[in-house]
Amino acid sequence: MTAIEVNGLRKSHQGFEAVRGVSFEVAEGEIFALLGRNGAGKTTTIEVLAGFQRAGGGSVRVLGHDPYAERAAVRPRTGIMLQEAGFFPELTVAQTVDAWRGFTDAPRPRDEALELAGLTGRSGTRVRQLSGGEKRRLDLALALLGRPDVLFLDEPTTGMDPQARAATWTVIRDLAATGTTILLTTHYLEEAQRLASSMAIMDEGRIVASGGMAETLAARGGRVAFRLPAHVRTDELPLPVTVADGLAVCRAPDPDLAAQTLLTWAAERGLRLEGLEVRAATLEDLFLELAPDARSAEGARPAENARSTEDAR
Amino acid sequence: MSLAATYRLGTRLFWRDKAMLFGSVVTPVGLAVGMPVLMRHVTQDGVANATAIFHSTIAILLAITAFMNIVVALTSRRDQLVLKRLRSTRLTDGQILAGQIAGTATQTVGLILLCAVTVRFAADVPFPPDPLGFAAVVVAGSAVLSLLGAAYTAAVPRAELAAAYTMPVFLLAGVSAGAMGPIPLPSWLRPVLDLLPTTAVVDAVRTGDLLVPFLVLAGWAVAGLAAVRLWFRWEPRRS
Repeated sequence: MTAIEVNGLRKSHQGFEAVRGVSFEVAEGEIFALLGRNGAGKTTTIEVLAGFQRAGGGSVRVLGHDPYAERAAVRPRTGIMLQEAGFFPELTVAQTVDAWRGFTDAPRPRDEALELAGLTGRSGTRVRQLSGGEKRRLDLALALLGRPDVLFLDEPTTGMDPQARAATWTVIRDLAATGTTILLTTHYLEEAQRLASSMAIMDEGRIVASGGMAETLAARGGRVAFRLPAHVRTDELPLPVTVADGLAVCRAPDPDLAAQTLLTWAAERGLRLEGLEVRAATLEDLFLELAPDARSAEGARPAENARSTEDAR
Repeated sequence: MSLAATYRLGTRLFWRDKAMLFGSVVTPVGLAVGMPVLMRHVTQDGVANATAIFHSTIAILLAITAFMNIVVALTSRRDQLVLKRLRSTRLTDGQILAGQIAGTATQTVGLILLCAVTVRFAADVPFPPDPLGFAAVVVAGSAVLSLLGAAYTAAVPRAELAAAYTMPVFLLAGVSAGAMGPIPLPSWLRPVLDLLPTTAVVDAVRTGDLLVPFLVLAGWAVAGLAAVRLWFRWEPRRS
């Protein structure tokens, strides 16, 4: 069954069209990654799906309902981790969770929520003393309180240390395994590749690639890279390559076969292909290809800028 | 029940914010108790003057503890995206605001009653002759001022400006209720100031006449509800 249905969604902010006709579907129990550089329209899309903003055009259905017009029907069954949202700094972690339990039907016990988010040891700490990653985990704890059927995670692991990130991945996978539908955005492409079974890449308000993660990547082929041996010209090689800084890169639908061809060719000539590396296409390859400015935008981007950039668009 | 949950949270946060407590509890209570005590002991007609000034300071309590407090609380929660987070729960918009308004109004009623009891013993200000009427108008006034504060947040661009933006309201409420002393006002201004919700409460307490003040408060309540519906902002301005 389809949990999330987006059809020709459009949304403008003050004359700027942030989302320009986006369509995708997320099946029940699926983890779906919405990717794109800053300002691509991801957060706007999530805000419409979560019912904070009305769709400007097209239609959106979450669990069969319009999330804006029928918020009361959708909210009890969704959990939302906003990209940025405040807490009451004076409350402790436990008090925050308790307050939110009061806003939730049949909430998880406080300790269970804290354990899921890996915050058990911090329950007595005031929220303002938490690190950025810990606040993110508290965010997750609150989003999970109502045992939602659909979970929206806008950059869920930003600011987390590697252990916390890995723990969060496990939680997300376990939730999906028990039937929770998860839509996430992330700037960590490895995270998306590991977690999501489907994805869409957005650029300038449109979807530029989408589909099953494994199929999409398999279709992109892979690459073989090696140091170009001295005195070898690229046109002598049996396969076309591009060379940058002495590193030859050969893109091929079947990178294993390409590597064999290249190694056989080298062996016949008594050459070594130093630094040989064979790999299937990664999401990052695909992403950089489709959103060419992404590398510069990805750099050392402080988390705060993400929102203002997105808002400014 | 979710309204009860937001009410409890609003109440807890009211007493948790130390910086705000000084402004919204210590200062107005100090004025509402201190000025009558002063009047009682330094003026000739002590009891009458103390009673008059106490009635006037109720306007200050309403303007600060109800109005200013909720404006500051809601704008800072709006700007820190706490309101947005609350909206990501099952709570309806109405429950979130009603819980906050009820919480602020309750604290205001409590403080006004506390002051009434304190000045009874510290400055011989008599208890109101109609305790039920007094309680009713204090409750209605606190609720209306809290509601108006919630509506007023739409006019406050940023949380840092909240206190500054409520200052004129506080001055207007204080002057028109006579809490700032006898200030000569043009004659045409008087009837206008009498229409302020704070003045309505003070008039009701002073004269015991409830009908007109309740009509004035009802008018403000309708205006406040309409303003909240039309203009309340749940998120900071995108700029």
